Formats: sequence, C-alpha cells, structure tokens
Amino acid sequence: MTAELALATRALSKSYGSRRALDGLDLTVPTGVVYGFLGPNGAGKTTTMRLLTGLLRPDSGTIEMLGRPFSRSDRHRLFDVGALVESPSFYPYLSGKENLRALASAGPRTPRGRIDEVLEIVGLRDRASDKVSRYSLGMKQRLGIAGALLGDPQLLLLDEPANGLDPAGIVAMRETLRHLAAIGKTVFVSSHLLAEVQQLADVVGIIAAGRLVREGSMKELLAGEGIVRVRVAAQQVAAAAAALAGLVPAGHVVQSTAEPGWLTVQIAPDRTAEVNRTLANASIYASGLESGNDLEELFLSLTQDPSAVDPDGTFAGLAKRQTPTEVH
Amino acid sequence: MRLFVSGLRKLARRPATYVTFGLLAGLLALIIVAVAASGGRGQNGNGPADPLAIVTFPGAYDLILSFILGLGGLFAVVYGAAIAGSEWTWGTLKTVVARGESRSRYVVATFAAIAVVAGVGLLASFGIGVVAAALGATIAKVPLDGIGNADALGRLPEHFLRGWAAIVMEGSIGFAIATLARSQLAGIGAGIAFYFGEGFASLFLPDVVKYLPFNLASTAVGSGGGFGGGGGGGGAPVASTPLSADFALLLVAAWLIGSVVVAAGFTERAEITG
Repeated sequence: MTAELALATRALSKSYGSRRALDGLDLTVPTGVVYGFLGPNGAGKTTTMRLLTGLLRPDSGTIEMLGRPFSRSDRHRLFDVGALVESPSFYPYLSGKENLRALASAGPRTPRGRIDEVLEIVGLRDRASDKVSRYSLGMKQRLGIAGALLGDPQLLLLDEPANGLDPAGIVAMRETLRHLAAIGKTVFVSSHLLAEVQQLADVVGIIAAGRLVREGSMKELLAGEGIVRVRVAAQQVAAAAAALAGLVPAGHVVQSTAEPGWLTVQIAPDRTAEVNRTLANASIYASGLESGNDLEELFLSLTQDPSAVDPDGTFAGLAKRQTPTEVH
Repeated sequence: MRLFVSGLRKLARRPATYVTFGLLAGLLALIIVAVAASGGRGQNGNGPADPLAIVTFPGAYDLILSFILGLGGLFAVVYGAAIAGSEWTWGTLKTVVARGESRSRYVVATFAAIAVVAGVGLLASFGIGVVAAALGATIAKVPLDGIGNADALGRLPEHFLRGWAAIVMEGSIGFAIATLARSQLAGIGAGIAFYFGEGFASLFLPDVVKYLPFNLASTAVGSGGGFGGGGGGGGAPVASTPLSADFALLLVAAWLIGSVVVAAGFTERAEITG
C-alpha cells in the first residue's frame, strides 16, 4: 500500500455467523478519483462500507485509509472521511439544519457556516427549516450526502447515493461528486446502478460473493467490453463472419439468432472503421453499424458466476459463455 | 461538552419529552384536583389516612413529591428506553460513529442530557403539583396556612436531590435495557415489564427485591408506601430488615453508574449492522 492510495483493503474478511459476507477483499482506491464499487445485492458492498466506517470489526485483513492503517480503535482517522452508510439516518422531529447541527456536534469540529454551505451544495437550503419527517426520500438522501460532506472530507464513502433522487438530483449529485474528485478528494461510491456508475466513476471495482472479481479504470474495463454490431445481408452473414474473424480472436464474432443479419464483434469501439473497412475489402457492405461499451454485460458476466473468472481476473469465463452462437 | 449541549437541544425539541412530562404533570394535577373536588369522599381504607392530605400544606409538599417519584419512575424507564432505543432504531448512532465520534462518550453525553432533562421535569412537575394542590385546597376549602412552612421548605432541596437521583437511576435502567435490546420498542416493553415485574416480585421476595432499582428508588427518597408512591409498579416493599434511606441512596448511585457503564460498554463493543 502506498501514500497515493486513498483507500486500500487487503484480504478483508467478515462473516455473520456461518455466512461469509466478505471473503478476502482487496480494494485499491487511488487518491482523487471517483471509485465505483459495484456488486449485486448481497455481494458484500454494505458490509464493506460498515467495515470502512468502523461500524464492524473485520474477522481478518487490513484496511488502510488516507495512507495510514485503520481499525475500529482509530476512530480519529474517520475525521477526514465523510460517509453515508445505507439509508440516511436522522431525527425525524428536527429540521434538516438542526439534524446537521446535531451531527456536527459529534466527531471533528465543523467550521462556522459549513452547515449552510453543504445545504447549498445539495440544494436543500430552502427546505432547511422543515422537519425531516416531512422530507421526501430524495430529500433525505440529499441531507445524508450533506451530512457526509460536513467535515469537508478527503475521502467520501457513499452507499447507493442515488437512491430516491429524481433525474435532476442525480445529475446534480454526479456533478458535485465529479467536482470533489477534480479538486483532489476521493469519492468511493457503492452502487448497483450500472449506468450511473458508468457515467460517474473513473475506477471501478466489481464485487461478487464477497470477493473482488474485477478492478481497474473504467476506460480499461470498457475497452475490454467494447462491441461493434454490424448488419449485413442475410446471405452474406457467413462470409462477413469469416472476414471479421481475422480482426479478433476466435469466438469474438457472434451471430445474433434473434436478429438475422446482425453480427456482434467484441472489439474496441474506436476500431469501428476498421470493421467496416474489413467488410468492404471483402465486398460486403454493411447496412448498419453500432458501437459501444457494455458495462452491464461485464457486470453480469462477472457477478452471475464468479467461478468463471480466472484467478488472475481475466475474462476466460466471458468467452466461454458466448460459444452457443459462435460462428468463428 | 458539544455532545452534551447537542443532546440537551435534541431532547428539548423531542415530542417524547413533552408527552412524558405532560402525562406526569397532567395526571398529578388531575388527581389532586379530583381528590380536592370530591372532598375526600369515597375513601376505602387503602389510601392515605386523609385523602385531603395532598392538598393540605405543608404535608402536601412531601406527598406531591412522593407521587411524582412513584409514577415518575415508570415514566423515567420509558423515557430512558425511548431515547437510547431510538439511537439504534433510527440509525443515528451509526451516523455519529461513522463520523469518528467515541461511542462511549456519545452514550454518556446522551445520558447526561437525559439526567438534566429529568431534573427539570421533576422541578416543573413539582411546581405544577403545588399549584394544583393550592387550587385543590381552595376548592376543598382547606386553609393554605402551611404553604410557607419554613421547615417543610427547608427539607425540599434534599428531597429533590434524592428524588432526582432516583428518577435518573430509573431512567438509566430503561436506557441500558434499550441499548442492550438495540431497539426502542423492545427497550420500552422490557423496561415496563421490569418495572411491574419488580413490583410483583416484591410480594414474594421482599428481602431480595429491596435491592432492586425501583424499590431502592422509593427507599432512597423515603417514600416507600407513600401516597401514590412506592417503587416497582406501586407495590410497597415489606422487607424484614428495611434499608436505610442513605444506604439505599448509595445503592441507587451504584445502579445508576452500573447501568450507564453497561450501556456505554455494550455500545463500545457492539457491531452496528442496522
């Protein structure tokens, strides 16, 4: 672990009775990025959050936070961390502002005026005097994020922050988090909303059954998951597949059974022109071309069957799953 | 100090504070006025020798305090449990722990705020009780000559302090139970059960129950078996060798400290999953 890392876990494990929630989790979160922590329900995301905030004690493994080891007894480490764990928790009979004032009385000292600042950031200034019991789910979520921002933290841990937010709220939250990363803070966001993470995160870690199954920059991950879809005349599908087979490894050209004439090529989207040229060189002219990245495909392939992933984290399992419709 | 002040501010805004206080003061005033209005009719031999004693000063001072401490014990348990339990039920404890706050310090500060609010509630209830008794005396045409009795007024501070200690200790029992239960509802339910269970047990095991919190509270303030008073759900302790008020006060302090230590220790070690 190095000082450039905002957060790192090594072999982190936690069990609830006989159920193993985390099984040797290794996370590496660089400083100054938005890190998307993805996983299906029950994968161990919230348990990880609880361990990172000292709510739980790990069975084994280590946590390093902002360059120093962290355990439950090092609560002062959390002074530089803002957290929203699970659903936001407030006193329903107090106003939003009073709740933040109560929260500010705990932990590190909060500068005067900071409460108004964070209320402004999350767009709750106008409703700050309303009782929290009258807040909508989205407003409570915003207030939770405001609470996490209260101490101007170096590291922000947010568990499903988009829960309950309307589209405008999601966009605003995304901009806020991107801004925080841009000024050097680290944002660790746990979520199962793939599209949201795809737009927000610089680095992604995918967890399944308590283990990290993939971690890397979003760009790298999606480059590996790039696809180009090509539509050709039905009688030219076999010839097109044969021509494209020279571009990509075996098994990376797949004929769609649902949509006759469509071929899917697993290739980086920026090589779309190359795909088109290859077909043209074979005197096959595409009537349709689509390119993109598929985080969902990656997510599903990794989380539905973790055993399909090689120990080194490569995508052996993904190619195996596509063989039924493989033509080359 | 920040936590303590914040705790006070939270309790001052909390509906449970006013509901608890309102119920206690309202019942007290209602009963006093009703007794006075009925002129002491309907006496069945189970109550005090003279029902109008509660509106007859200076004796009314002791009886009002005794009533508050008797019924207030139950309310204190419920209040303590409600405050501690809500920290778990609402998840607010989780939020402050994730902010890096010391768990045990938070628990102690929260309880200290409860102790102060209980003291204020005790004073306010007593004030309302005295006003109600004066009103009742007027209704029942009982003279108010003794209201300024210097001797009775001189004894009040000590009674207040003993009563405050007793009420705070009873609150700490509810506080600790709800903390162990990690739940507001479970804490309140278990606290009430404990209160009445102790009262019931005192019928069969008075020499054991005299060391238990609610009986000790009554003994410490010298209100055992008094008007509306008595601990453990109103059951009067009939131990073969009753404890002295001073020794009982010592044990009250032990229960109080023990309960807060248990609550703080449990919270310190607990895995917060909710």
